[in-house]
Amino acid sequence: MANTETALKECLASIEGATGVALVDYTSGMALGTLGGSKTFDLNVAAAGNTDVIRAKMRTMEHLGLKGGIEDILITLNDQYHLIRLLTGRGGNGLFMYLVLDAKRANLAMARHQLKKIEEELEV
Amino acid sequence: MTVVASTPPPRLPVRDRQAALREARGVVSPMLTRLADERATGVLHREHGTLHLVDGRVVHAESPLAPSLGTLLTAHGGLDATAWRDAEDTADEAHLLRHGVTPGVLELTQVSALYDAAYFALAPSSTPGRFRYGGAHWLAAVHPVPVDDLERETLRRRALLRHIWPDPAIDGAPLVRADPVAAPAVPSRQAAVLARVDGVRKAVDIARELGRPAFHTLVHLRRLAAAGLVCVRTPPHQDHPSDGAGDPYVALLKRVRDALEAL
Repeated sequence: MANTETALKECLASIEGATGVALVDYTSGMALGTLGGSKTFDLNVAAAGNTDVIRAKMRTMEHLGLKGGIEDILITLNDQYHLIRLLTGRGGNGLFMYLVLDAKRANLAMARHQLKKIEEELEV
Repeated sequence: MTVVASTPPPRLPVRDRQAALREARGVVSPMLTRLADERATGVLHREHGTLHLVDGRVVHAESPLAPSLGTLLTAHGGLDATAWRDAEDTADEAHLLRHGVTPGVLELTQVSALYDAAYFALAPSSTPGRFRYGGAHWLAAVHPVPVDDLERETLRRRALLRHIWPDPAIDGAPLVRADPVAAPAVPSRQAAVLARVDGVRKAVDIARELGRPAFHTLVHLRRLAAAGLVCVRTPPHQDHPSDGAGDPYVALLKRVRDALEAL
C-alpha cells in the first residue's frame, strides 16, 4: 500500500539521479505533495508552471485530431531531465508526477520504467 | 559651511519568499491560524462551509458550493452510492475499502475534495466563524493538511482564477452560452463543462454532475468566459432597451471593458 508520501519517497530513493519529485493536479496547478528540490529550485512553482506545458500539448493534440493519450513528456536540459508522467487511473484523473533527474547520474529508460511502476502503486 | 544631511534612499523592495509566506499567515482566516497554533480539535463553521480540525491540522472540509467526497468517489472511485451512505452513517473508513475503494484512490480523492471545499469555506464571509471543540472526523487519518499549506493554496487559487478571467460573477450565477464570431476550439475536459451550460445550471451544479471538484470547474468556466463562450445570464434590463446586445462586436468590446475595469 502506497500513500502519496511513500510513493514520493520511493521515487527519490529508488530512481537513480532523482533530485526532486512532485505529485500535481494539472487543472488547479496544486502540488499534492513534493519531495526534494532545493532553495533555488522550488518544486511548487515548477509544478504549477508545468500544468501549462501539459495543457498546451493537449490542445495541440486536440487540434491535430490525435486520439491517443499522453503517457509522459520529457524535457532535456543541459544538466537535468524533467519527466512528466500523467496518471491514468480512477483516482488519478487529472494528476501527473513530475520528476527532476540529474542528467549525469540518471538512466532515462530505467527512470521511465520505475516511474510507471510507482504510478501504478500510488492507486493501490 | 553647512552640511546638508540627506536622508538615505529607501531600500529597494526585495522579493523575499519566506517573508511573503509569513505575511500571508492569517490573512485568509485569523481564527483558523489561532486554532492551528493551539492545536485544536473540533469543527470550524464558516458561512460557506465547515473545516474539521485535529491537533490543529485540517483533516476534512465540506461546503455546499463543492461536491462532497462521496460524490467524487461515486463518480470516479468505483464506489456505489449505498456503500458511501453506509460508510458515512457508520463513520467507518474500512467500509469504503471493503467496497472497492483502494487506499490510494481514497487519499487522492480526499485531498482534492478537502482543498476544494476549503477554498469555498475560506472565502470572505459576512458572518463570523464559530468553532466547536469536539472529537475527530471519521476520515481524520486519511490525509491531514497543515493550516499554513491550506491558506497558501487558497490564496494561490484565488490568484489563479483572477489571472484567467477577473470577473468573479460567473462563479455563483446561472450561466448561458455566448455565441462568439470565431469560436475557438475547446479541449475535451472544457467541452464537457460547456455542454452543461444551459441558462439554469450554476458552476456547482455542473461540478456535481461531472463528479469533478468545483474549483476545477471554475477554472474551466473562467477559461471559457475568457474565450467568450460563456457568460452570466443577466435578467433583461429595462433601462437600456438596446445597447447592441445582439452585435457580437459590441459584446466583445463590453467584455474587454469589464475585464479592464476589473484589473
